[in-house]
Amino acid sequence: MSRVWAVAKNSFVSAMRMKTAIVFMLLLIILLPIMSITSTGDGTIKGRIQSFISYGLGLTGLLLSILTIIVSCYTLSSDIKHKQIYTVVTKPIRRFELILGKVLGVVVLDLLLLFVFSTVIYSLTLQIPRLSKVKGDDLDVLNNEFFTARASLKVNFDQQILEARANDAYNEMRRSGQLDESKNKQQIINEMVEAGQYSMHSAAPSGMVLWEFNNVKPRDPNDSLFIRFKFEASIPPPDKNIYGVWYVGDYRQIKYGQERMKTPIYVTPRKEVVKAVHEFQVPASAVAPDGYLAVVFYNDPINDTTVIFPQEDGFEVLYKAGGFGTNYVRAVLLVFARLVFFAVLGVSLSTWLGFPVAVLCSLAFFFTGVINGFIVGSFSYLGTNVSLFYKYTVEPLIWLLPKFDQDYNVSKYIIDARLIKTGFLIFAIGALAVKAAVLLIAGFIIFARREIAKVIV
Amino acid sequence: MTAKDGQFVIETFSLTKIFADWWGRSRVVAVDNLNIKVRNNQVFGLLGPNGSGKTTILKMLLGLLHPTKGKAIVLGGDSKDPRISAQIGFLPEESYLYSYLNARETLDFYGCLFGLNSRVRKARIDALLDMVGLAGMANRPIGTFSKGMARRIGLAQALINDPKLLILDEPTSGLDPIGTRQIKDLIVELAKRGKTVLLSSHLLADAEEVCDHVAIMYGGLVQREGSVEELLERKDKTQITTNVLTDRAIEQIKRIVEKDGGEFEIKPPMQKLESFFIDIVRQAQQQQKPTSGAVNRIEATDAQRVAAVSDVLDRLVAAKIEPNKKTQQAEAETIEAGPDLDVLSKLAQQASQKISEPVEQKSLEENEPQSQDGIKKDLLNELTKPKDLTEQLKKKDKNAQEKENE
Repeated sequence: MSRVWAVAKNSFVSAMRMKTAIVFMLLLIILLPIMSITSTGDGTIKGRIQSFISYGLGLTGLLLSILTIIVSCYTLSSDIKHKQIYTVVTKPIRRFELILGKVLGVVVLDLLLLFVFSTVIYSLTLQIPRLSKVKGDDLDVLNNEFFTARASLKVNFDQQILEARANDAYNEMRRSGQLDESKNKQQIINEMVEAGQYSMHSAAPSGMVLWEFNNVKPRDPNDSLFIRFKFEASIPPPDKNIYGVWYVGDYRQIKYGQERMKTPIYVTPRKEVVKAVHEFQVPASAVAPDGYLAVVFYNDPINDTTVIFPQEDGFEVLYKAGGFGTNYVRAVLLVFARLVFFAVLGVSLSTWLGFPVAVLCSLAFFFTGVINGFIVGSFSYLGTNVSLFYKYTVEPLIWLLPKFDQDYNVSKYIIDARLIKTGFLIFAIGALAVKAAVLLIAGFIIFARREIAKVIV
Repeated sequence: MTAKDGQFVIETFSLTKIFADWWGRSRVVAVDNLNIKVRNNQVFGLLGPNGSGKTTILKMLLGLLHPTKGKAIVLGGDSKDPRISAQIGFLPEESYLYSYLNARETLDFYGCLFGLNSRVRKARIDALLDMVGLAGMANRPIGTFSKGMARRIGLAQALINDPKLLILDEPTSGLDPIGTRQIKDLIVELAKRGKTVLLSSHLLADAEEVCDHVAIMYGGLVQREGSVEELLERKDKTQITTNVLTDRAIEQIKRIVEKDGGEFEIKPPMQKLESFFIDIVRQAQQQQKPTSGAVNRIEATDAQRVAAVSDVLDRLVAAKIEPNKKTQQAEAETIEAGPDLDVLSKLAQQASQKISEPVEQKSLEENEPQSQDGIKKDLLNELTKPKDLTEQLKKKDKNAQEKENE
């Protein structure tokens, strides 16, 4: 272990003395305070803090990722190129210990830099409301919608039920001879499933959309539930405003009549612009003792249009489930796991690639990670045609790619004050750890077999 | 597993290295069916012109290259085994060091790779920095060093683990004559302490002085191999070196030789340029001219210089000192080799104290009593529990005084 540590110390000192790390640190030291002053967001104090923390965390993550890639690709490949490795591998150190040491050195560097900068961002974030002398309602909004960590409830449509219904309907149509002859069975069923999904999150004039959730566990019934939604209209009204009434509570009680209701149902008439995200609060006491919660949107006939909630981000219920500090620490942990992954990636690649090629590959990994959803999506489409080939060749490779977008985009959690759940945190870090381990073992094997002093004629 | 006395420290069996091109086609046969055996406590020189495969052999021995065919056994096993590499010191053909570390950090790094604890590291680093004359520059980054200064750190690095086997690739390249002289003294001194040294060189004068066994390489093949005396002895000539003789003595000798039917030539011996150079620098140092380079304490006499090397080794090494039988044998051979007559043998004995290159001879004479009186053993014991340098220096002074008294 002392040998691993000696190598780690050496590569850490190399990064510090060769000024790579210093340049990145200076960039952040200069940029972060400037951003804390200049970021405005949507003009409100909340928007300002959101845009600061978004750019701050994003920039730190980006710069540290690039720094990690450069340092980790450099540390081993430069030793090989400049032949210092001759005097190192001929000492009583196993080659895997050397690789571990190199990775460890970069990780220590990351740990240090990430700790410093995440602390700076955290304290600046806490200072912004104080310096702007925010009071009253604005402060409440901040505390409820930013300086907190909220769990999110989203609807997953039961695909199986929809398909079963579509199947029944198909059989019914075939019996009654109403089938469209120009389409095959699968096409008809797909259409009906889509129509079913559509009907479940859209409401015709004077129609309703119902969302139901189980296992809702707010920490305190005096807390609030945050209903967050976005809708579109099939024929947008001239002023773009949609009138609706929201009912939040235990929907099952309706059949018992108003006198026998145990938990309150909150009724909120609202008027909102289409195609923008809105949020309103209701007390958490709306949740039934068994954790059941229903939310109903009633489409006022006055709108005279169908209201559609997009499937992706149309509807969500948030409730307070943790503190801002803990959530921030979790976000930073995720960023750190990502940096460790890049450290392993860079060192493993440079066991058989030179510096420029290793950096190029690592950057490719980085950017595919940023648009992972898009890539996986495009391959999945191809996959239906050549599924067997895809499954055994491309899919494992895609699995190896890291994911940093969608659910893995950490600054989005912080901006929306959304709780990073423990299970998700462990899963995300675990997945990265497994991928890193695969890369590390590959690096060990390649490096152990490599002819260090090979001359290419 | 370690090699015992009498066993081979390095043994190769049909060791072959063929460099292939990108397509895997053979291109260069760098080493061709090499079979060499390096005995324990031998100073083995691989000699040959550039590109004759010397460095490739060393790289294969150290596991930096894989042999295309054949096998190399180092200290009874594979040099990649940490238990074996812990006993090897290696100085590559150029000093490949981390330019951003300073001299002390560099040696500390290598010390850590050997798993030495911090006290041992500190003691050895101090001793080695003293030895290579860079104690005053311990905190300067290696990147600012000249080639020769970096070379000295490279050498110090190779000695930090007190190796049993020292593999030196072109040890004297890039060094000034004083550094070269020191390395040669060091190699001789290490051999006296039972170490084995394998070195490659194309500087033949240097190799001749220190090696007791050489292999001359050309085109990846060993052309000739054998002990230096065996290879270089000229059976058809005899050399006599004496103090300045009277005309009468010369006339007598001339008569003896002519009576025997031999040819006769007489001239004063030339001083070697190396010893001349060292004298000049020593004088300059005594006038205390400043330098920004490596500072070698050139002691007032050769004997003191050798004693200084020996002293550093004492601080480093934990091996027993064996009296050097090799040189005694060599002297005996010289005497036997002479044609005949008492006069000649007497002359030869006198001459042995005044030959043109007295360094090694003298060092042996002066070191032997020292090695017997047990002072070194004390020092060696102290090395395992590193202690104050001043005390060691005091002892050194005492030794010098004793020598003067003698």
